[in-house]
Amino acid sequence: MGALVVVAFMVTACLLAPVYAHQIAHEDPFSSNLLGRIRLNGRMVSVLQANTQGAGYGVTPIGPTWHFTNYFLGADNQGRDVFARFLYGGRASLLIGSVSAVICCAVATVMGLAGGYFGGAIDWVVSRLFDIVWAFPIYLLAISLSVILLTSGVNIGPLHIGPGSMMVPILIIGAIFVPYVGRPLRGIVLSLKEREFIQAAIGSGASDWHILSREVFPNVAPSIIVFFPLMVAFDMLTESSLSFLGIGVQPPNASWGTIIQDGLGLLYTRPWVAIAPGLGIVITAGALNVFGDGLRDAFDPKAKLRGSI
Amino acid sequence: MSRPMFTRRIGVLLASFAMSLFGVIAAAPGATAGASSTYQSQHAGGTLKLLASTAGGTLDPQVNYTLQYWQLYQATYDGLVSFQKVTGAGSFVVVPDLAVALPKVTNGGKTYTFKLRKGIKFSNGKPVTVNDVLSSFQRIFKVSNPNAGSWYNVIVGGPACLATPATCTLKGGVAVNASTNTVTVNLLTPDAEFLDQLAVPFGSILPATAPAKDAGSTPIPGTGAYMFKSYNPNTGLVMVRNPYFKVWSAPAQPKGYPNEIDMNFGTTVESEVTAVENGQGDWVFDALPSDRLQQLSTKYAAQLHVNSLTADWYLPMNTNIAPFNNLKARQAVNYAIDKNAAVSLFGGKLLASPTCTILPPGFPGYVESCAYNKGTGSKYNGPDLAKAKALVKASGTKGMAVGIVVTNDPVNSAVGQYVQSVLNSIGYKATLKPLSNNIQFTYIQNTKNKVQISLSQWYQDYPAASDFLKVLLSCSAFHPGSDNSINIAGYCNKAIDAKMNKAEALELTNPTAANALWGQIDQQLMSAGAPWVPLFNPKQIDFVSKRVGNYQFSRQFYMYVDQLWVK
Amino acid sequence: MRSFIIRRLISAVLVLFAISVMVFLIFFATPGVDPAARIAGRSATPQILEQVRAAFGLNRPIPIRYLLMMEHLFIKHDLTSYVNVGDRVLPQILQAAPVTLSLVIGAAVIWLIVGVLGGVVAAANRGKFIDPLIMFVGIAAVSVPAYWLGEVVNYFTQSKFHSSIFSWVPSSGYVSPTTNPWQWALHLLFPWLTLAALYAGIYARVLRAELVNAMNEDYVRTARAKGLSERRILLRHALRCSLISIVSLFGLDFGALIGGAALLTEVVMGLPGIGMLTYNALQNLDLPVLMGCVMYGAFFIVLANAVVDVLYAWLDPRVRLA
Repeated sequence: MGALVVVAFMVTACLLAPVYAHQIAHEDPFSSNLLGRIRLNGRMVSVLQANTQGAGYGVTPIGPTWHFTNYFLGADNQGRDVFARFLYGGRASLLIGSVSAVICCAVATVMGLAGGYFGGAIDWVVSRLFDIVWAFPIYLLAISLSVILLTSGVNIGPLHIGPGSMMVPILIIGAIFVPYVGRPLRGIVLSLKEREFIQAAIGSGASDWHILSREVFPNVAPSIIVFFPLMVAFDMLTESSLSFLGIGVQPPNASWGTIIQDGLGLLYTRPWVAIAPGLGIVITAGALNVFGDGLRDAFDPKAKLRGSI
Repeated sequence: MSRPMFTRRIGVLLASFAMSLFGVIAAAPGATAGASSTYQSQHAGGTLKLLASTAGGTLDPQVNYTLQYWQLYQATYDGLVSFQKVTGAGSFVVVPDLAVALPKVTNGGKTYTFKLRKGIKFSNGKPVTVNDVLSSFQRIFKVSNPNAGSWYNVIVGGPACLATPATCTLKGGVAVNASTNTVTVNLLTPDAEFLDQLAVPFGSILPATAPAKDAGSTPIPGTGAYMFKSYNPNTGLVMVRNPYFKVWSAPAQPKGYPNEIDMNFGTTVESEVTAVENGQGDWVFDALPSDRLQQLSTKYAAQLHVNSLTADWYLPMNTNIAPFNNLKARQAVNYAIDKNAAVSLFGGKLLASPTCTILPPGFPGYVESCAYNKGTGSKYNGPDLAKAKALVKASGTKGMAVGIVVTNDPVNSAVGQYVQSVLNSIGYKATLKPLSNNIQFTYIQNTKNKVQISLSQWYQDYPAASDFLKVLLSCSAFHPGSDNSINIAGYCNKAIDAKMNKAEALELTNPTAANALWGQIDQQLMSAGAPWVPLFNPKQIDFVSKRVGNYQFSRQFYMYVDQLWVK
Repeated sequence: MRSFIIRRLISAVLVLFAISVMVFLIFFATPGVDPAARIAGRSATPQILEQVRAAFGLNRPIPIRYLLMMEHLFIKHDLTSYVNVGDRVLPQILQAAPVTLSLVIGAAVIWLIVGVLGGVVAAANRGKFIDPLIMFVGIAAVSVPAYWLGEVVNYFTQSKFHSSIFSWVPSSGYVSPTTNPWQWALHLLFPWLTLAALYAGIYARVLRAELVNAMNEDYVRTARAKGLSERRILLRHALRCSLISIVSLFGLDFGALIGGAALLTEVVMGLPGIGMLTYNALQNLDLPVLMGCVMYGAFFIVLANAVVDVLYAWLDPRVRLA
């Protein structure tokens, strides 16, 4: 349960981001501070410093001060406090990870149950949909969707997704991992269907809905619970990859993925901007994986996960 | 910093001097010692290795519109005339190339007569004849040259060729006489910039046997000191010496130094820089990553070359939809943006200078002025947020949502984030819309996309005032609903349009008066229209390897690759 | 069995068809991608724009354009790029494939060795200090964003310690093994390690779980009863059975990676493979190249899926009925 403590700690720290930004660091992590100056070790220094050595080209943001109250991890290229953004970014990453995992698990459950239980044409369609999503180039999907979603937003039935909404990465990430969860669930349902108690329920003339909700689902639920923390971890990793392609939380907001992206442009001069959020992901995703393993041991010692990404 | 910001294809364009016809014919002024100075054969030989992250598209000089290849075409192709291959102001001057002399202009500026040099051969060994010249003119239309409809349609027969390119003859427009070796070009109207347009690579003379369609990745023989030996857009291109080349006019086509010039594609910019640092490559085409500048200027200062460019980074505001259909709102943004902040995002004061005008400094017609400034000076002092906020309030646009469309590369999106922050601080609700490089440039032009404000760049085709003012801000450059509508602000002011036409006509007779008029137009556009926020004029920074010598910069073509020494 | 294989192949082809149609439709539904405007150049007049559209067949109805593109790709083999005009797509893919193959095969060797060793050692030392240590490292490897790891590796090898312990690391890029096998391996070393880390972590974890399960199976108990040593049982009996799941996992992963799933690793490490080609095509919105890459990649993914399914059906006849 040490893993749970780590997850809880990261979540709490990130939830406290506004407290840190406004009460401790006194920096607005969302507005540019290009020509700002701060007091450091008794001297006033610029947040963005023009190079003075050699030919003097280029401007470099201030590096980590290691003073907890002031630019702890330094500034990014907009002169914003990286540590405050790191905390806010964690909130976004955790939110995207968990909401998309919920969506993914819900859709996968419905599809997996329907395919495995009803079989026939429904199963064929479900399986082919899984194949298509699995083999589809998500980067293309992501880039195209991002252009449409970022510029004008989109209406899916009653649901309106505004430009730059956090629902954009959530939906994309939720969708691409549906086969990952849905396929094993379908397999479990297939083997459940052969078992006596389901056959007995079918024989007794119970409705499909009744069998699915009372007999099948409770037996699948432990697997879903095992999947969930793993999916949160996966989704956080995917969020960071999608940010590499510019599809994610939109500026000036931040997620760990977008902060890494900002930091890559500063890797040679201010590596901490990229390294810190990466470590945040590694620690959180690692703890979630350990937690998921623990759940598996508790619930479902024989579960086999398809391990490719 | 500048070049890859652009879509590769729409590329960055080059310059020609805004000289009147008569100005061009006059002797070339101010040519500093450069490519035309004495050839130093002890430096000849070796292989020059240029690095670029990706290829620049088709290799066809009559189609390609990227700086990446225009820079190479200087050593591989010639037109009847070309820009002088020297450093300094002289590099804007048009000199005779395949023609013996600059053309005789008669018929009130409508007839140009060129005499073709004898004895010049293409790299396939065939002599250059007047028929090659005729077919090259026709080919401009047959390959749907990007500017066939905006530059070359002034030739008699051009409009017909535009309508049906396949059957283009340019009858009455281009006439050749093999016995006297002359080429006569007739124009529909006098055109002060026609020679400049012939001096860019679109005007290259190619063999009559060149295919009548975009040759793509197949090299076409040329007359320059080098020829393309191979081209693979995924790995690289190789230029070797043209075995049939002999110097006929060093200012037009000098002899180069390296025996071979390679351009390799397919690595990241970061590793290109590392390769040049370690001497595994000689030059980086792409913009240098900003986080490498500190290291480069400390350790490799002697290998960096910085030169001013006549180019603008600017924020066009859509003058046809809210909130920027309101003049006060546009003026407010002009007051609010701190151009020094944008400069610092670009790499600091040494790599860019803030600007308040549409014309860049050093341009014909340029007058330093600053309509929206802290205080009243003509030199930029900083933003005036109080004025900006008051103007937003007065305009009644406060609280409106504004979308800022930028490209998603680091520098552009950084400037975009800064603009977003400023717009929020003066009372708008700004969102940033970062798009891929290739989408953004056409996306912001199309009125269907309802872009309110964007970040864009313009690199001159010509240092002619019209190339900024008329091309970017006249009614004729505004095509609602089209992806090609370079007047991004959608600004159309009939009175200013009339003034621009007057200035253009004046260029033929009185260049000085024309330039003065262009200067007035520039100031009037900013004070009465404010369709843009001009941000800064960028500089070109070249990073070469330690072994490279004889770096020379053309304002027209940037670095002369063929003049570099690797020995 | 044969009818199962045929059914499986038909659905594989259907899936490929659906993917190609979706790629095509998504591309043309994206605003601002009209290649004509970019091909025509920045000052083109509407007239030139129309000519370019006609020259590239962009003025024809979408279904016709789709069919033409498929004809050029699969029948005539002469589909050419929108961006690098005249540059054929197929040779580009053929040229990029060896780079991706080099990357993936090298990484696969590393991750199989490390993963299998790690899994076996962890399972053999259950309850001791080394088991949780290996599993912890494995979890860390699984939890790292691949491209971030690549960038950090680049930072350490190309910048931070390049002047000291990593001075032997060449700048990123690819050298063909036929040109210089030593340089080939040297250039690929860090990309291999970066890519292998994730999979080694996964395989070690999966293998350990399988081995632990297997050690409780009946046949292992029988072997124990016969008095065989624990080590011998683990290596001779349990490992052999557990490797089946590793092999099927490997089939899927290998197929996906050959098909371009290593995109981010290739981009970050500057390797001109299928992933980089796809990435550049996306950046340039070069639909023909993109379509070629997508079809190529989807082919391997769908093929790997089908092969693994058929393999399972062969091993477990009940699946065929499903």
